[in-house]
Amino acid sequence: MRRHLLGVAALTVAVVLAIAALGELITRVSGEGGERPAAAVVAGVATPEAGEAIFWGKGKCSTCHAVGGRGGAVRGPDQGATGPLGQPIGLRAEARARERSRATGRPWTAADYLVESLLDPGAYVVAGYKNEMPNPLRPPIRLAPDEVRAAIVYLQSLGGTPDPAAIALPPGLAAQAQAAAAEEWRAYVAGDAKKGERLFFDADGSAGCGRCHRVGARGGDVGPELTHIAGTRDARFIVESILEPSKVIASGYETVLIVTKDERHVTGIVRRESAAAVEVADSQGRIQRVATRDVRRRAPQAISTMPGNFGEILTVEEFHDVLAYVLALR
Amino acid sequence: MRPPARRQPRRGRCWGGAGLLALAVVLAAGAAAADAPPATGAEYRTFYGASARLAVWVVAEIHLMLGAFVLGVPIVASILEIVGWRTGEARWDRLARELTGLLAAAFSTTAAFGGLLVFTLIGLYPRFMAFLTSVFHETYYAYALLFLAEGFTLYLYHYGWDRMRGRWKGLHVALGVLLNLWGTALMLIANAWVSWMMAPTGVERDTLRVVGTTWQAVANPLWIPLAIHRVLANVAFAGFVVGAYAAVGFLCARREAARAHYDWMGYVGNFVGLAALIPLPFAGYYLGREIYSASAVMGNNMMGGAFSWAFILQAVLIGILFVGGNYYLWIGMGRIGGAERYQPWIKYVNLVLLVSFAVWLTPRNIPLTGEEQASLGGQFHPLLKYFGLMAAKNAAVSFIILSTFFSFLLYRRGNKGRRRPFAEQGRASGLALGAGALVALAIPLWYARALLMLDPASLDLAAAQAGYFRLPAYLLLGQAALVPVSLVLTLRDRGPLAQGLVFAWTTLAAVFVLGVYGFVVMEKANPFLRHLAVAQWLMVLGCLLWNTLLDVLVFRGAAVAGAIRWGRMPARAQYTLVLLCVTIVMLMGLMGFIRSGLREDWHVYGVLQDTSPWAWTPTTAYMTRVVGAIVLGFLGLVGLVFWLAAPRAADDDGEAPA
Repeated sequence: MRRHLLGVAALTVAVVLAIAALGELITRVSGEGGERPAAAVVAGVATPEAGEAIFWGKGKCSTCHAVGGRGGAVRGPDQGATGPLGQPIGLRAEARARERSRATGRPWTAADYLVESLLDPGAYVVAGYKNEMPNPLRPPIRLAPDEVRAAIVYLQSLGGTPDPAAIALPPGLAAQAQAAAAEEWRAYVAGDAKKGERLFFDADGSAGCGRCHRVGARGGDVGPELTHIAGTRDARFIVESILEPSKVIASGYETVLIVTKDERHVTGIVRRESAAAVEVADSQGRIQRVATRDVRRRAPQAISTMPGNFGEILTVEEFHDVLAYVLALR
Repeated sequence: MRPPARRQPRRGRCWGGAGLLALAVVLAAGAAAADAPPATGAEYRTFYGASARLAVWVVAEIHLMLGAFVLGVPIVASILEIVGWRTGEARWDRLARELTGLLAAAFSTTAAFGGLLVFTLIGLYPRFMAFLTSVFHETYYAYALLFLAEGFTLYLYHYGWDRMRGRWKGLHVALGVLLNLWGTALMLIANAWVSWMMAPTGVERDTLRVVGTTWQAVANPLWIPLAIHRVLANVAFAGFVVGAYAAVGFLCARREAARAHYDWMGYVGNFVGLAALIPLPFAGYYLGREIYSASAVMGNNMMGGAFSWAFILQAVLIGILFVGGNYYLWIGMGRIGGAERYQPWIKYVNLVLLVSFAVWLTPRNIPLTGEEQASLGGQFHPLLKYFGLMAAKNAAVSFIILSTFFSFLLYRRGNKGRRRPFAEQGRASGLALGAGALVALAIPLWYARALLMLDPASLDLAAAQAGYFRLPAYLLLGQAALVPVSLVLTLRDRGPLAQGLVFAWTTLAAVFVLGVYGFVVMEKANPFLRHLAVAQWLMVLGCLLWNTLLDVLVFRGAAVAGAIRWGRMPARAQYTLVLLCVTIVMLMGLMGFIRSGLREDWHVYGVLQDTSPWAWTPTTAYMTRVVGAIVLGFLGLVGLVFWLAAPRAADDDGEAPA
């Protein structure tokens, strides 16, 4: 019996050790864990070496694209000489740019084509491949504009001449990346703007935005007017303003706390002020008048008068309905 | 006379007490989690100065392995009990009871590790836990209550076994079913957390504010695929662990009856393990597909990036399971009178298995030096490069599954003699055959129609490339056409011929034709490859289901050609069972690493970044060292628990199973 128990224990340890040894072998053979080139992307200075590090590292390009004999991925076109047209991407980009010129009727450079391929990969997909390349600006990859530039320089260097000066990234790329990230929620639930309008102006409803905000001729004037809000603010800002109203308070709508001599606390937005009295609008749109002689202390507050619990009191659908309405206010 | 339960009650009280203590730990942990600190202050802490990630990894993995056992065993025990109840054979009931005894002991240990895991996470990853709690706090209470329900149901099920006999047996069976319902619900809740971490829904990414409901977070795209994969894996895990328990019991048994008992138990364990292992690749493929759909970046990283080598290791481990399981079956034929007729087939099955595994294991790309490349004539070997591609691997896996199934059919037929004419089998058999035929027809017809109606534009393919969809559709139609043919043959008592035809067609179509055609599709219409793989899987699945039914019906009531001599197994068969157990535990650890590691440096993928010093992806070497240590720890713990809990029933009261 003891012999068998020892045998079972020995077999168990031997199997585990054998598998661990196989793991060691795999790591040695595959080269994983070895030194990887650092992504030395200095702001404004893009080099092929930095781009190579991004291609084979942070950018995860190599999980879909091989470069000739390097890498084994087949999901995306090979960027080496064994790729489409039998040319490496640095050369091939010129032919593709000519095709783009013919298709769009405007001049395209090879660099323009590469920029489009990275930032709008679905625009002109290589025949035989699926439109499934993710936007590298978005999570989980999240490349910075300088890293995108470096990756393009690396692609240019594959059979062509690196030319960072020719790369014209769209203006405001960083802001675009942020906006792209903020868009993530939008596809989640499609809001109904008509329902949203009803919720907005229903004074007794859970949203009741119209009690304080005016749209055109309707609504109150305690908070900022929203008639053209979607034309001046992006979606991300609007979402944040609804869910976290204290994060950015519109100028002129700061909250104040007034403590009267009889220990009454009045909080809200100052609507009118004279030598005799100050009128304060509270979170429900009600106006309270405090005589100047009764004020003991007056202090600005970092918290917005607008309720900060819309995340809890609105259902997901209601939130998106209201949002759809507000986003239509241009 | 009822067997004396002389030691059981004392042990029962002991385990009952431990279980209640463990329940208290879990409830306290749940309360602590619900009261987790806000997302301010420390983001990470060390584990007494050591890596927090390592500490969580070890505790979580052991908890997961114990969880797999306590969720998988009740499924097996419940089925065995129902079989015993309906057939009136007491041996099934005894086995189910013995397994439940192991379960009661393991349950409290699982709970204790669950509590430890929650405490570790709250202590070491407070920011992440606060975030997770903000999303899932409503599910925590349900989890704790379900745990309580499962604990009480388990103890009622285990300790009520003797009281609920005779007319109360149905109630006891219902308790077993209820136990599985609680267990599955528990697993679904825990799965929701981890699958949401991989595919988060309903989060405003910049503010980390959850704009979705709890239910929407729970019902994320990976929730169900992961649950299906886990249920099957848990059953396979439980089967092989029980097999090893039986093997040790066999090796240590002093009496023939005990050896026979443990031999039979080992056979059942191996059968359960293999039966659950066969559909696992289908579930894995479904899960992988959904991971890819949820995030192409994660999907590519899994199969073509940092984790592709871990899948080579996975192939080795699955290879050991299939070859080992088959080897055990083949040795087992030695104890079946009449099985020697089928022995010559084994070498061919073995050859198919080994060749298929060689293909499955071939990596696509190996880093080579300039010299090596020059001698090879390029980066890839001129022939072997094809084996590294998905098309070859899909064909190889299909062949492995078909071969193992064939091997099992040979085992089943071992002692079967002359068959009973189908006409004598009664109406129930006819109805079962008809219903099975409808299912076997529906599967290929449904997918053939889907392929023929598939819009090439949906795959970013040109209209002319729709031509590539036709061949797999026609092959599916061919398989559908074989169903009525095999049905008629079976009715005319030519069942084995019908089975052979279905087997031959499936192997030819799914393995060879579609295997080669896969390369054409990769070259000409790459995006269609995933649909081609589904066609292969469905053909194999259809073959398995239809052939199983045919086998059961064709050999129902057949004459017995020889007796099964339980207990007549060599020691090497028992060591094989131990090997299978160690391998599946290691595989479970590896898959846990892959699932968790796919998130890379994200706690919640794309939403909450892991900024701790441990947010790096380990190498395969590091992973196997850690997982290896966990496996040894887990097996040592389980060995101890089983030793404490084992009633030594087979030695004391055991009897031969048949």
